[in-house]
Amino acid sequence: MAVLAPVSDSTAPAHHKTPRKKRLNRVWSDRRTRFGLFNAAPVVVYLLILFVYPIFSTLMLSIEGEDGGFTLHWYADAFRGANLEILLTTLRISAETSLLALVTGFLLAAAISRLKPLWAGLAMLVVVVPHFISALVRTYGWIILLGDNGVVNNVLTDIHFPGAPFQLLYNEIGVVIGTTAVMLPYTVLLLYAVMKGIDRRLPAAAAGMGAGRLTIFRRVYLPLVAPGLVNAGVLSFILCLGYYLTPALMGGEKQTMVASLIDEQVMKQNQWNGASALGIILLLLTFAGLVLLRLGRSAGEALRKRGAAS
Amino acid sequence: MIELRSTLAGRITLTVLAILILLVLALPIVVIVVTSFGKDAFGSFPPDSWTLGWYKQLFAEGSKWPAALSLSALVAAMTTVFSLVLGMTAATALVRSELPLRSAVYGLVLAPLVIPQVVVALGLFLLFEPAAMLGSPIAIALGHTVLASPIAVMILMATLKGIDERLEDAAASMGASRLTIARRITFPLAAPGLVAAGIFAFITSFDEFFISQFLSSVDTVTLPVEVFNVLQYNVDPSVTAVSAILIAVAVVALALVAAVRRLSGSGAQDGLLPTETAVGLPAGSETAK
Repeated sequence: MAVLAPVSDSTAPAHHKTPRKKRLNRVWSDRRTRFGLFNAAPVVVYLLILFVYPIFSTLMLSIEGEDGGFTLHWYADAFRGANLEILLTTLRISAETSLLALVTGFLLAAAISRLKPLWAGLAMLVVVVPHFISALVRTYGWIILLGDNGVVNNVLTDIHFPGAPFQLLYNEIGVVIGTTAVMLPYTVLLLYAVMKGIDRRLPAAAAGMGAGRLTIFRRVYLPLVAPGLVNAGVLSFILCLGYYLTPALMGGEKQTMVASLIDEQVMKQNQWNGASALGIILLLLTFAGLVLLRLGRSAGEALRKRGAAS
Repeated sequence: MIELRSTLAGRITLTVLAILILLVLALPIVVIVVTSFGKDAFGSFPPDSWTLGWYKQLFAEGSKWPAALSLSALVAAMTTVFSLVLGMTAATALVRSELPLRSAVYGLVLAPLVIPQVVVALGLFLLFEPAAMLGSPIAIALGHTVLASPIAVMILMATLKGIDERLEDAAASMGASRLTIARRITFPLAAPGLVAAGIFAFITSFDEFFISQFLSSVDTVTLPVEVFNVLQYNVDPSVTAVSAILIAVAVVALALVAAVRRLSGSGAQDGLLPTETAVGLPAGSETAK
């Protein structure tokens, strides 16, 4: 997850002492550097105009009053009444989704990591291929599956599952099932990569020294997978925050999420300032998640170093 | 779950759970493909009788689907070209040169993947609305490129890292110019990566919904936006056939990527698909160098 950890690329410590002007000169005179700058320019310029600047103007709009002056009342509006409820709903559904995606992803990744390469490859295909199929289409598939007469309810009724048929659409169950299915490939891939990297001799060594199965799981396996769990959990949480399709199509009124609210404010109410404030709030929540991830990573590394030293 | 291996019960439980979770991933797709051939669009599953009627209806007189399909294809084609140009130059800069502020550039390139899409879409709307460019295919393609180019950059970075730099150095030492090296050495070797990057850029755009929704006007509606509108307002059974076509496009695209990788011999060691990079997960720290 390199995005989440802007790499501290220590650019030659010698540079620190050279005066600024000299350094610039040297940067410019190096052929490889010039070549790099020349090649990096298109993407940087492109993203500055179509990505950074639009977000910046969103920020400006969110603090602009009707008279053009500075105001924070769009933010105050966002944290009041129905809007606040939608914000809390978004956090709740994102938390439920990331938890469920984490647990199911963990089970699936653990099962796949024990398979023979051929079977593991096939299973990973089932994980990866859906990821490239439009989330909209997959959501539609869930609508067909979860309807009152859908496959899921029919099967449950046929096996006389107590309480079947269930109301699975247009409520929170439906939304969480739908969003979890969308986030699942991410968690499975992240956890699978971590599990593959585990030295199998470690649990074996613990067993050899008489550790019980539960102890091995808790004291050896879990700490080794922990970084992956944190990564996958935070990532699916922040991806879910701004998610629109599934809640809009599979949720009821009580499952409106921030993205739907932004959409409605822009498209139906022409309320750009309010929408901008909501967008910036989503952005800040995302940043908070990323910062959390970095902190967790450095804490984990510090812990590991201390463990290695002692 | 290594310790579960020792008990049969644990093993069976894990297998059953894993199969159920795989079903969760596969079933929504299977159900659409099967239903699209069923006579009774919203009836029982599996359908009692079969038909190709929904597909024929798509191209019947007065259908809005062909226009949406061709718009999506046009936008996706433009996005592919933009992303490949940006991706190739950016990957060259990040892998093959001394770049000041390298990590900042890399972070900027990957940022669109983690920033909420609704924020990106809203910003683009605020950019293009005053310019009266809403509904323009170019505007939609420019917007899609923000999402597609990071994926192209990651795939192409991996490709360039796989090419032995000494080949380029050798050509240079024998007097080949930068352009000749690019044309005769780098491009042929990078071709499979370029094809993969292009295909992923294409389907990213072809399936993209949110930016299209914000940037479309009444008469320029991309395929996913049309599907969404149909699902939300008036359920038209032919939408199942459209969905099945979208599935087919994605599967064919993935099969092409796998085939190219196999032909170029790079697929053997790391599975059928370059999974991590392809899903948009920036791979481990080695990618960041």
